[in-house]
Amino acid sequence: MFQNLRLTMAWLHTWFGLVLGFVLMVVFFFGALSVFDREIDRWAIPETRFEPQPMPSFDKVLRPVFESMQPDPGQIELARSRVDGPMATHFPVAKTWGAYTTHRDPVLGVFAGFELPNAKDPDDIIWGTRTIDPRTGKTLPDDQLKIGSQFFYPLHYSLNINWRELGTWIVGFAALVMLVALVSGVIVHRKLFRELFTFRPGKNTQRSVLDLHNLTGVVALPFHFVFAFSGLLIFGGTYFPIGHTQLKPLHDLHEVLESQETGLPHERAGVPGRLASVDAMMAEAQRRWQARGMAGEVGFLTVRHVGDANAYVSIYRAGTDRIALTGEGIHFNAATGEVMREDPPPTVAQHINTFLTGLHLQHFRHWTLRWLYLMGGLLGCVCIATGFLFFVEKRKRQHAAQGLRGARWVDGFAVSAVTGMLVAALAMLVANRLLPADLPGRGDWEQYAFWAAWALALAHGLWRTAPVAQARIAPAWAEQCLAVAVLAVAAVLLNWVTTGDHLGRTLAAGYWPVAGVDLFLLGAAAMAFLAARALRRRSGVPSASAAANAPSRSEAARA
Amino acid sequence: MRDALMLLAAQAANIAGLAWLALAMPAHWEQVCGRSACHPRAARLLRAVGAGALAVSLLLCMAVDHPSMASLVWVMSLAAAALAVAFTLAWRPHWLRVLVRLSRG
Amino acid sequence: MAAPPVSRLNIAVRIGAAVLGGYAFTWGFIALSVALLFAARMEFHDAETLATIVGLLLFVAAFLWAFAARSVAIVWTVLAGGGALMAGAATLVQRALT
Repeated sequence: MFQNLRLTMAWLHTWFGLVLGFVLMVVFFFGALSVFDREIDRWAIPETRFEPQPMPSFDKVLRPVFESMQPDPGQIELARSRVDGPMATHFPVAKTWGAYTTHRDPVLGVFAGFELPNAKDPDDIIWGTRTIDPRTGKTLPDDQLKIGSQFFYPLHYSLNINWRELGTWIVGFAALVMLVALVSGVIVHRKLFRELFTFRPGKNTQRSVLDLHNLTGVVALPFHFVFAFSGLLIFGGTYFPIGHTQLKPLHDLHEVLESQETGLPHERAGVPGRLASVDAMMAEAQRRWQARGMAGEVGFLTVRHVGDANAYVSIYRAGTDRIALTGEGIHFNAATGEVMREDPPPTVAQHINTFLTGLHLQHFRHWTLRWLYLMGGLLGCVCIATGFLFFVEKRKRQHAAQGLRGARWVDGFAVSAVTGMLVAALAMLVANRLLPADLPGRGDWEQYAFWAAWALALAHGLWRTAPVAQARIAPAWAEQCLAVAVLAVAAVLLNWVTTGDHLGRTLAAGYWPVAGVDLFLLGAAAMAFLAARALRRRSGVPSASAAANAPSRSEAARA
Repeated sequence: MRDALMLLAAQAANIAGLAWLALAMPAHWEQVCGRSACHPRAARLLRAVGAGALAVSLLLCMAVDHPSMASLVWVMSLAAAALAVAFTLAWRPHWLRVLVRLSRG
Repeated sequence: MAAPPVSRLNIAVRIGAAVLGGYAFTWGFIALSVALLFAARMEFHDAETLATIVGLLLFVAAFLWAFAARSVAIVWTVLAGGGALMAGAATLVQRALT
């Protein structure tokens, strides 16, 4: 595009990085929080603050729950456009029952997929979900939002914009641009190895911000690249639904062949069938894994063609001690409990796939690696945020001199995307503690609190970055940092007041999910407070700091 | 407990290893030692010791976990170590003087 | 980059090439790879995985090329045209198999 490659790559990195950076900020931050999504759930739903439980008895606990399930009302609404004629009120045929648990789950999520009467697509399924206490089989109310796994986590891969999966597409495009930004960044950064450890906080703002941007981008370069790439791979079927469109005939051929090869029926027989003891099947599965030298817990189980003579039960081992999510599947005839098939060892392609997806989805037990992942995600956030700051710093004097307002608006949106996002997340946690416990639709109110707080932060951010148009530091940053500090401390105090689980108690009991969240909040508050103080000091004496930073240009702008 | 100690040792080895590699660069040698140049033989020694420390760290990680996890732990630990070395060079470069003495002795 | 010597139209066309052309090329590549690998007796989902991994990397490369290349017309021809050709070939392979 330009005279040389480096100029073109710099242009590409700057402009695509700037625009998609706002989306990537959300993806990286809430992705980082999602490493501890289940722990955040424990903090948000005090009734679930007990120890993680293994998969409970199917026959005594899960079967009654499954038999009483129906599709979620929200799913029924979404499915209205997928039926010809009236929407059914009862869904008698369950295609699938499933339960999934990890070493971090006290409560168990179960799901059931039902045939959709009058569906346009005969293979269409409509889903219902429940959360139960595995010790008793009691269902938890729907109103309790799992802020970690049901809000922060989907926010990071779909922005919670579910209309025709638009949010997932936006995040996918942002991930592609992230990869482009990483490659173009490496091409532009000539002294990548020589400046690997270079960070000069004492120099002018533009230089130290760029140093930090390069540092956080390069030291975690494999992390940033592999996470963006593996995220795209996980949703590959959404972005390139080739097997369900152009190559559907080939896909259907494969399903028939696979069904013949594995002996697992692809269709219902249309004849009712009984369900034998699934607990006995789970015990048999665990015995077989042990015999192979891979003793383990049941991580995932499904029942297919529920209630039919062709029904089969699939039991998978939890991948707690390795990168793959689950594996070593064993399939049982539902009526007789006989083993129909043991999954063969994974192919090379399956190994690559489970490694990349398992690396991203992290269901393994390794607390050190989890904390390192959190660090990686936050480094990504710092990289993006310093990118914004560098963009503004580089241009604000020039724009002030020319009466342009570009830098001023970018700074406004940047503060909303960085500190504003933190304010929104914290406001949600505070609302979670303040709202009445029995408020109907409590989860919805918590979400409104999140978006409303962000909107307020946006308005504040846009208003209080006006000084950037005169090449000064915006007070918005320090003010929002202070808000972050106050909200974070408030959240910890409210947890104490409303649940009694203060740090003294949770640390003494060793209940790390809640103690960890409280400690992280306090750490964040401390950093935000120090940042606010440092920013206030920097902008408090304009002429002195300007002389230290860039003497001739800023004074000319002010004249 | 043993696993935790080995992972801590792996992290320390990564920090030392990257610090030695950084010291082999003239700009950082100056920051830490004040002198303008580092003898080329000393720089080669620093690079060798640095690489060795990173290898030791990888072995320690492999002793704790399944190889697929150990390699991830090592790569992420490298990132943390690089950050630590960069911040130390920026704010407390004299802390790394002990590593110069260690590389010789 | 206060006043780039490149016209707005050129930039728009390059963005189109990168996004739309890149997508078409990647779709065609994945479709043809899956069809050929399946024809060579690889399991369907394994073929999809491998094809998607390589396809995504190609998409990144195509995106960069759309801006780095001197002639944006060549980029459009290769990406959109190549994508269409590969997709067409994939359907032919599918017809032969089903």
